[in-house]
Amino acid sequence: MGSISLTIDGRTVEVEEGKTVLQAAREAGITIPTICDHKDLNPYGSCRMCVVEIDGVRGYPTSCTTPAVQGMQVTTTSERLTTLRNRTLELMFSGHPNSCLVCPHREACEKYRPKATKAARSTRCGFCANREECDLRTMALKGGSRDLYLPTLYASYNLERDDPFMDRDYNLCVLCGRCSRICEKIHGKPAISIINRGKWARIGTAFHKSHVHSGCTFCGACIDICPTGTLTDRFARWQGKPEAEVPSTCIICSEGCSVIAQSKGGQSMANIMTGFNPEASLCALGRFGYAQIVNSSQRLLHPLVREGEDHIPSDWEGAIQAAIEGLQVCVGATALVISATTTREDRFLYTQLAEHLQATLLILPAEAANDDPQIREMVGAVQQGKIRGLLTNGDFLSADLLRAANFSLVIDCLPSTTTSLASIVLPAAVLSETGGTFRTAVGTVKQMAASSRAPGDARPEWQILCDLGQALGSAAFDFSRIEAVTPLVSDDPAPAAIDGDPRQNVRELIPRFRGHLLADIVPALAAFGLPATEVAAVEAVTGAGFAILEKREIVPNMHFFKIRAPQVAKFAQPGQFVILMARETSERSPFTLVDWNGPEGWITVVIEEVGRSSRELASLKAGERIAHVSGPLGLPFPIEKKGTVLLGGGCYGIGAIFPLARALRQAGNRVICTIEASSAYLLFFEEEFRAVSDQLILATKDGSRGVWGGVQEVLAQVAQEETLDQFIAIGCTFMMRMVCEASRPLGIPTFVALNPIMVDGTGMCGACRVSVGDQTRFACIDGPIFDGHSVDWDELALRRSAYAREEVQALSQTVDLSALIYKPESDSCGCGRK
Amino acid sequence: MKTTSEPMPEQAESNKNPVQGKGKVKIPRQPMPEQDPRRRRTNFEEVPRGYSEEVAMLEASRCIQCKKPGCVEGCPVNINIPAFIKQIAAGRMIDALLKLKEQTALPAVCGRVCPQESQCEARCILGKKGEPVAIGRLERFAADYARKHGGVPDPVKAAATGKRVAIVGAGPAGITVAGELARWGHEVVIYEALHLAGGVLMYGIPQFRLPKEIVQFEVNNLKRLGVTIHTDYVIGKSETVGQLMAEGFDAVFIATGAGLPVFLGIPGENAIGVFSANEFLTRANLMRAIDFPRFATSPIRPRRAITVGGGNVAMDSARTALRLGAESTIVYRRSKAEMPARAEEVHHAEEEGVEFHLLTNPVRIVTDERKRVVGMECLRMELGEPDASGRRRPVPVKGSEFIIPADTVIVAIGNQANPLVPQTAPEINTSKWGTIITDPQTMMTSLPGVFAGGDIVSGAATVISAMGQGKVAALAMHRYLMGGEPPQL
Repeated sequence: MGSISLTIDGRTVEVEEGKTVLQAAREAGITIPTICDHKDLNPYGSCRMCVVEIDGVRGYPTSCTTPAVQGMQVTTTSERLTTLRNRTLELMFSGHPNSCLVCPHREACEKYRPKATKAARSTRCGFCANREECDLRTMALKGGSRDLYLPTLYASYNLERDDPFMDRDYNLCVLCGRCSRICEKIHGKPAISIINRGKWARIGTAFHKSHVHSGCTFCGACIDICPTGTLTDRFARWQGKPEAEVPSTCIICSEGCSVIAQSKGGQSMANIMTGFNPEASLCALGRFGYAQIVNSSQRLLHPLVREGEDHIPSDWEGAIQAAIEGLQVCVGATALVISATTTREDRFLYTQLAEHLQATLLILPAEAANDDPQIREMVGAVQQGKIRGLLTNGDFLSADLLRAANFSLVIDCLPSTTTSLASIVLPAAVLSETGGTFRTAVGTVKQMAASSRAPGDARPEWQILCDLGQALGSAAFDFSRIEAVTPLVSDDPAPAAIDGDPRQNVRELIPRFRGHLLADIVPALAAFGLPATEVAAVEAVTGAGFAILEKREIVPNMHFFKIRAPQVAKFAQPGQFVILMARETSERSPFTLVDWNGPEGWITVVIEEVGRSSRELASLKAGERIAHVSGPLGLPFPIEKKGTVLLGGGCYGIGAIFPLARALRQAGNRVICTIEASSAYLLFFEEEFRAVSDQLILATKDGSRGVWGGVQEVLAQVAQEETLDQFIAIGCTFMMRMVCEASRPLGIPTFVALNPIMVDGTGMCGACRVSVGDQTRFACIDGPIFDGHSVDWDELALRRSAYAREEVQALSQTVDLSALIYKPESDSCGCGRK
Repeated sequence: MKTTSEPMPEQAESNKNPVQGKGKVKIPRQPMPEQDPRRRRTNFEEVPRGYSEEVAMLEASRCIQCKKPGCVEGCPVNINIPAFIKQIAAGRMIDALLKLKEQTALPAVCGRVCPQESQCEARCILGKKGEPVAIGRLERFAADYARKHGGVPDPVKAAATGKRVAIVGAGPAGITVAGELARWGHEVVIYEALHLAGGVLMYGIPQFRLPKEIVQFEVNNLKRLGVTIHTDYVIGKSETVGQLMAEGFDAVFIATGAGLPVFLGIPGENAIGVFSANEFLTRANLMRAIDFPRFATSPIRPRRAITVGGGNVAMDSARTALRLGAESTIVYRRSKAEMPARAEEVHHAEEEGVEFHLLTNPVRIVTDERKRVVGMECLRMELGEPDASGRRRPVPVKGSEFIIPADTVIVAIGNQANPLVPQTAPEINTSKWGTIITDPQTMMTSLPGVFAGGDIVSGAATVISAMGQGKVAALAMHRYLMGGEPPQL
């Protein structure tokens, strides 16, 4: 193909024929802003950010879809183009929550909001889950206009959480189509596409099926290509941007797919594809399951040496010594049973060790289990005493086999029946924790990279094998780096290919990793029908729970519950809270009472979905039961006739101020209520508040409805017009802190409901202690409502974020969360017929 | 050994001599098999494994069946100790349990957590010259045996009296009263604020000392007796005690415990990483954070933990911290001799590798700019004259400040009475410490028909003393309700 030359912004540019104007500009180092464009996708021309002017061409063509032509004169920057792009961006922001750009509290928010909170909320104040990686935001902050004039027209879609690995918030979608286009490019038959028309156009599956049933293979390409926070990895998203991205190989099965391993702080976050093309596609396990295997809380941490009935934790030296003593006795009568899920170097060293011990070496396929026919054949040999010693690197040996053998050594990463019966257990570093090379089923040799830290004392297998070999007195194990082993490995056979192609069908995922059932390690895989060991459900030891009479997602991420709880309803008073546990395994989490009816025996609460506990609650439906409802707790707020009272609520606090407003009005006060949200579509309870207040003022952080700003702006306004005798604010710590700062100089008595971490809620543990004035108070029994001007806000904010790390872990490694979210449905198309 | 109430002849024969004869003192006290400390410091399994039948019978044979047994007097609930031991010696394990059950609702619990060395075993005549009979271990054995093998007949209940009794708090005191009163024919309803019944047995005492299945087994036994247990029910926040009486209960027993942690009152105490022992243990035990992430409550994962205090709760905290992966240190301001913890607990903690900084008093928590704990500043102490408690008063050594590095500080210096019920029952007289004042003979409060017992009366004490008060209260309540003595069952 020939080359052509054209002029862009006065510069002559030479490009290959067939390139687009955008490509030509990029090659010349000229930046044109884009959203829907992606280097691995065909030009689409939907976002219209890349418009340019071309001499002789009418209007403003999109550079991504316009082929470069010999002699073309292109202008990429002009006043008209800037205006046009800013208007385009503004149009996009009229449909994409934008308070992260325009909120008047943005700077203070950045300063006071703890960085590492679990509150990487989806549709909440200001910041979306993807704020560190949002192309739209970056673009607007970089150069685009931040003055938004158009009214916002947000959709108000419920969050979608009906699959095992992804969260979807289509309120953030700008319809760039990257996700559906990449899905089509990689899989041919896309699982998602733009559905509906006009204003209602959105991304979705055919017939609104769940992703599990839509043909989705969970390769994660859509997530990784999404320019906004719409599509996210449910677990990795809480951790922000990865610190390192290293090319490596997934060796869970013999396919040996190339991956980019993402990590942060030495911890594996996820594997992503090496490129957006069909060849680079990953299966659900490689994309999402991998990090959960590596980060499993069940990992073996220390060498264990059996003494009688006990496994005694040992140091490496002692364990290796004990291991060789056991092995030496069994020379000539040992079998090595090794998973093919190891590096070539490991396998080479296992072979060496087998030779040294004059042992039989059995290499099992990646998906092998301990009832593999080859293992069954071994039982006889062990029983006859022909095999006395066993060495394995997975859960491959049956209990009979282990009991019959004199000595058994397991080098593995997770506990199993095999480890529980073994003489010695050595903890292995696996997958992203080890380097080396891997030969795939088609015979290609691929490089692995160590990208995360092994837990505890775990060591890579090659190192363990070298220690063993050296201790056995063999010179063939004298290596200090895995790279020194690599050149010695040659003519190693390719492992057998797996049955099926899990990259095209999630139901063909291999069920095991080193003999362990994968769905035991990554519980979400049970959603695809992968077998798991039955875990005894936690007995519902107390009572039958509390019936949910009504449940709605009133605005995205905010759930309204009406629960039957007569003992609470009968005694509740304004300002009090309840402690809820969705299930016997849940945390005890406090929620402010919104409404109640003693005679009818019900209470209502509004629950904002943030972490695991609120998510477990949010996934319950009307007709189901909440395991525990305890309350009413806390001191009621003293309801007195003060005169004029202003109540401000934000997020969950909107619900919390409702009973106070009603009671204060009944007590004869003039009640002004203000409710704030980041955008109009997130406001709720408007009708309810009109009924209990003399005046209702709405406020939004993006100015889409009512006052632009929040409760503090409303406070300033109202305080100018009339005297306020009392002011109550309930919302996030940040909001309450800001409004207290605003009301202090005005001298208005200000009360806030504090929300520290609680455990029991009855004064027993002191987890909820807060500093008010110079006293330490317990929010559960001395509060939750305190004088806002005396609260030590810094301390409260820091104490609230004390468990940020565990909260993320609780979400990503929870056993039953996804099982709870995933509800099997019929495979019909939705037309009513099967 | 099968469960038979009739001993096989040869066993009766073989046991006869050791029990009656003179050679018995020569049998040494049987050691308790225990999990190896190197292993147990990494798990939450129970430390002592319990006696086997053979060992239990051998140990039981050491009892000389005193005519005037001191051990019974030493027991706060007056268990007929020689009688139950005699049954074990004869191989009648279920009968042994039934003997225990006559006096205690919770033998499996008492056998594990009672300070026998200062109660029954301290009074054992064998202890005068050698080692006392291992009464606690035998009690535990009988209870465990019955739980494992079943065959325990349903307890005998008296005919219904038509009287209704409300019990506030399902801890050791509440459970004891409920068990007694239910057997005597009263209708008993327990109100428990937390989501599981058991009180301190569930939230406080760790799994490795008292497996939670055992507590729930005992709670289920109560239900089998016909006791109704309302969990998630916060008396004081829903009904007050006065309202309970107005709603038709004929008597109320308050056993809400010492659930209000005391802090040190030193600078930095609200830093991230400072916990009350209650919080630390509640997370680990009741909320099962040790099974995180299967259970959702975040565990505390200390690297270097300091526990302040010298009682059983301090030992429990330090040993839990150790099991959660920490280098665990105890800081106590007096010397080892003054430690209120059971000797066995201190010994176990030492065995597992808990470090002890004795005669050391915390003065300040050192924090970083994020208000996280990085250490604790302490002063060395020396012992001076005895104080009001009879223990030698610790006196600070001037200029001896030093810092112990730590990321976690667990404060285990005691608890005050939980205020929820006393706050909402002004008719009931309380002391300046917030505890409820009762008549020691009857455990009745200043409000007629309302009784109280356990830590809400005595301040933070032991499980068995709470049960002892429960026994006294149950008897007095029966007399109050019926005007006569309880039936002989």
